[in-house]
Amino acid sequence: MAAKGDLLLEMSGVQKRFGGAVALRGTGLKIRAGEIHALLGENGAGKSTMLKILAGVHANDGGSIKLGGKDFVTGSPEASIDQGVAVIYQEPSLFLDLSLAENVFIGRQPKKGVVIDWKFAQSEAAKLFKELGVELDPKRQARGLSIADQQVVEIAKALSMNANIILMDEPTAALSASEVSRLMTVMRSLKSANKAVIFVSHRLDEVFAISDFITVMRDGATVSENPVEKTNLQKVIKEMVGRELNEMFPKTKNKVGEVVLDVHDLTNPAYFRNISFTVKKGEIVALAGLVGSGRSEVARAIFGVDKYESGSVTLNGKDLPKGSPEDAMARKIALVPEDRRQQGLFMIAGVNRNISMESFNKLVDRGLINFKRERALTNTWRDKLSIKFANQADPVDRLSGGNQQKTVLAKWLATDPDLLIVDEPTRGIDVATKAEVHRLVNQAASEGKAVLMISSELPEVLGMADRIIVMREGRQVAELSREEATQEKIIAAATTGKRGA
Amino acid sequence: MNLFSKLKISSREASLAVILFITIGVTGLINPRFLTGDGTKDLLTSTSVVAILAIGITPIVVMRHIDISIASTVGLSAWVIADFCKKNPDFIWWQCFVIGAIIGLAVGVLNGLLVAGLRLPSLVVTLGTLYIVRGAVYVVSNSIDYNAQEMPPSLLALGQKVYFGILPFTFLLVIIAVLATAFFMKYTKSGRDAYAIGSNPPAADLVGLKVFRRTFLAFVFSGFMAGVAGVFYLMRFAQVDSTAFYGQELAVVAAVVIGGVTIMGGSGTVVGAVIGALLVQTIQGGLAALGVDAFWKPAINGLLLIIAIFADRRIAVSSEKRLLAQRIRERV
Amino acid sequence: MFANLKLSSIRRSWDTAIILLLALVLIFASATTGTFLTSTNIFYIFSNTSEIMIIAFAMTFLIILGEIDLSVASILALSSSMLGYSYVRGVPIWGAILICLATGTICGFINGYLVTKLGLGSLAVTIGALALYRGIANGLLGENTVNEFPSAATDFGLKSIGSTFMPRTLPLILLFGIFFALLLHRTPFGRRTLAIGQSPEAAKFAGVDVVKHKLIVFTFTGFMSGVAGMVYTFRFSTAQADNGVGLELLVISAILLGGVSIFGGIGTIWGVVAGVLLAGSVESWLTLQEIEAKWRTIVTGILLLISVAAPVLVQKSKARRERMALKKSG
Repeated sequence: MAAKGDLLLEMSGVQKRFGGAVALRGTGLKIRAGEIHALLGENGAGKSTMLKILAGVHANDGGSIKLGGKDFVTGSPEASIDQGVAVIYQEPSLFLDLSLAENVFIGRQPKKGVVIDWKFAQSEAAKLFKELGVELDPKRQARGLSIADQQVVEIAKALSMNANIILMDEPTAALSASEVSRLMTVMRSLKSANKAVIFVSHRLDEVFAISDFITVMRDGATVSENPVEKTNLQKVIKEMVGRELNEMFPKTKNKVGEVVLDVHDLTNPAYFRNISFTVKKGEIVALAGLVGSGRSEVARAIFGVDKYESGSVTLNGKDLPKGSPEDAMARKIALVPEDRRQQGLFMIAGVNRNISMESFNKLVDRGLINFKRERALTNTWRDKLSIKFANQADPVDRLSGGNQQKTVLAKWLATDPDLLIVDEPTRGIDVATKAEVHRLVNQAASEGKAVLMISSELPEVLGMADRIIVMREGRQVAELSREEATQEKIIAAATTGKRGA
Repeated sequence: MNLFSKLKISSREASLAVILFITIGVTGLINPRFLTGDGTKDLLTSTSVVAILAIGITPIVVMRHIDISIASTVGLSAWVIADFCKKNPDFIWWQCFVIGAIIGLAVGVLNGLLVAGLRLPSLVVTLGTLYIVRGAVYVVSNSIDYNAQEMPPSLLALGQKVYFGILPFTFLLVIIAVLATAFFMKYTKSGRDAYAIGSNPPAADLVGLKVFRRTFLAFVFSGFMAGVAGVFYLMRFAQVDSTAFYGQELAVVAAVVIGGVTIMGGSGTVVGAVIGALLVQTIQGGLAALGVDAFWKPAINGLLLIIAIFADRRIAVSSEKRLLAQRIRERV
Repeated sequence: MFANLKLSSIRRSWDTAIILLLALVLIFASATTGTFLTSTNIFYIFSNTSEIMIIAFAMTFLIILGEIDLSVASILALSSSMLGYSYVRGVPIWGAILICLATGTICGFINGYLVTKLGLGSLAVTIGALALYRGIANGLLGENTVNEFPSAATDFGLKSIGSTFMPRTLPLILLFGIFFALLLHRTPFGRRTLAIGQSPEAAKFAGVDVVKHKLIVFTFTGFMSGVAGMVYTFRFSTAQADNGVGLELLVISAILLGGVSIFGGIGTIWGVVAGVLLAGSVESWLTLQEIEAKWRTIVTGILLLISVAAPVLVQKSKARRERMALKKSG
């Protein structure tokens, strides 16, 4: 057993590339026993890749990883577990029908002779829960546990496998405030048991409340490694942002017209409360905030995929009924959802069928779809958005991520919407296509459409938006004009709820 | 009661048992014979076949699969056994069990290979084997029926045997089977894996459970029990033709679901399944006592099944709602 | 649940393959049996498959949606029983037919309501409905049968058009076939059906009212089962509770044979038509070969297993070949 402060894990010069993209370019990380270590950085900085290498999901391409002085074997989750590294994901996948004791020991149940020794399993589980400072009943079913408690069960499972290093990937993203404080208790007990905890979080206030050490990453490299007392919020934010904005965003100055979308006091208590804002003709409004802050849920409520409890949505001066995407479409709203594979596209259907999906009224002739017009429609949008595919009937599954995203955009632009909502429009696509998507969204605004954009990428938000609304834990915490907005201000509002930095 | 707590009978089974006793009580009010030793014996006798099958498919349903080929297997097993007996007059009862078991295992292996090996949907696979096995009965039986004269006396005697005036031999076997299976499902790795696999299939793969082996063996077990049920069928009816037990797979599925084994997998016990079988049988008996025509029997079976599924769903929905409400409270 | 996207391309060629297979079976059957391609025999193939075909048109939509209705044969029996029951009680034949169709529609609606509005799984709940509807028919008629129908009606079920190979029910079936083929392949409704089957989540985001859509499909599947009930009644001139026992399995296997994916999202009406005719032709050939009826059940079962297992096996061997090729090159 390592003593407190002993160096457990040392990563240096670690490299990883995925095809042509470089994810890590020589990253370093030092983890000591009995330490809570925060790993920070913007989206795409390489934090997840680091965690995945330690978890055994990926193998590193270069650099060295030493665990307790020995070379660390990467590339296999089993090997990582054997070496004492365990991962707790944001959404634990427990067996909800089984008891907690069982979840802790699944696949490794203690036996007495040929039968399972439940008494022993339960008392062991109870001991682990007690160590973690959360006294859950090992006999109860996992169904009905809060996400936070489910994470506790996962942590107990990790401890039962003798894990010394516990990785947590955004463990607090889905938690409420009271659950967060509970998780912090657990992290502290892990610390006092001399385990090392590495966690990734975007909520900087929490990071400063709990961690002993902070490593900041940017563009696949480590920028700073500091004990928490030697750094502060402003400094960390600066280090995360680093570079100045480059001129990727051909922002055009549009004539801003009358109000198209008026959201008033919108509330769905499980996700967001008292959201009010407007989007005008020709304007791009961004909803910024961390993943899980309720941004996408607001968009879903406006479009009618989800219902909301109170408040109102008005479009072009008339109330929009809630909970009906059909009505929303009829009133000329388009939503490009965040998950194109699950929500935006029919992956096994042809490109043409995806593009025509929302435009049947233009294609139908005496009740029947006119295939000629469907072909023409597909060609039109292929040319406008330069979507690349060999054959109209090719399943979109075969297209690259960028072309898939353009296909989703095409199918919604084809409806000629008054309000275009885009949720994470450039997630997971290459740089060139990103620029094209930005151009298309700008063009939509300059054609007089109202655009509501949700994005986790700050340069995108700053480069594209006329106004920025920042959300934090389901509440609207700031509204910034294009002129006053900076990356620092947005991060500060999104992570601490306070305006200005 | 000690036994009950040892097998971790949950409140679900307890409340089912209460419903069962109430139903028996109410039926007894209409027809007092129901509460006598004979009445109990009749109930247990008539439930045996469905009960043994219910035990057989419970692990499968727990694993989020289904086996609807069982009724055909019962038919095949029963007919082939009768045929063997006819040709070998000195056959005794346990040899019948061996033949039944072999036939059942064969069907189970076929189902298991197709479902677990190729990962095909179990409904469609067992629908196919339902046909093939029933077709096999038609082919081998050649329209020949057997009745009591052609069966081994030792088997028929066993079918008539009653312990303590109320417990028929077949139901004694059901009790042994239920205890053994309940123990297995609760106290062995394989049993627990079944619940894990049905509860969260992707996670079961992630944790490295032996999904193929468990699924395969569950189907083999179900086939085995269906083969044994063929013997039970002969003992109870003392006759068999090519349509024996036709379409009765639904009664078994109904019993299992009513017994609290959710069709979505992950929960339920064999004890519940057997109580479900008894409950269905009692309700049928009670309605008959009320003078409801026997022709309505399948309709009542169907209605009971739908009600059971509905109740199951309500329970799930209300617990989801509770969770959401709790989440909302915590966010405030 | 296992839903492999890569299966789609194999599935897509599966319905063309099945049409080829049908052609092969026809050639083989007529070569080995002189009486196969006679007009009488073709009449029987059409006639014997008529109820299966009628229900399959609608059920194809359900399976594409990722749902299933196992109660269709019971709906057939219940509507047939209602037809007979009301006719012998003095309802004019056209009124009895309306009652028959209405019964089917209502049963379908009930199934749809249970599945969509109450959120019950269609497999389990229609197993219940299967017992329920047949049970009601049973309770209604008991062991009685109704055999007296106007000759115009029974002629419609029994006779051919003139002395051709075409049963008088064929134009009706053709009409339905064209209607449902257009509905699936040429209308927004059909596109939405496929879309829901491919991804209910994406369909919701595309503005499709999934609940309403499924309810409509369940309802018209019930209606078509009622139509099949009418045809069955007139074809055999019999209304009784055990009409069409087990027919649901024939319908499902014909549909799967016709290339509709059991996982939903993929399927064509012409594939299904070929699937139904293929099963019917094989059965007819077996009859003409004087292979006893008892073998046919086995053949149906094997056909069903082949139709679900083949695409998976093809996919597996393809993947293995690719791995081998990769090993060699690497």
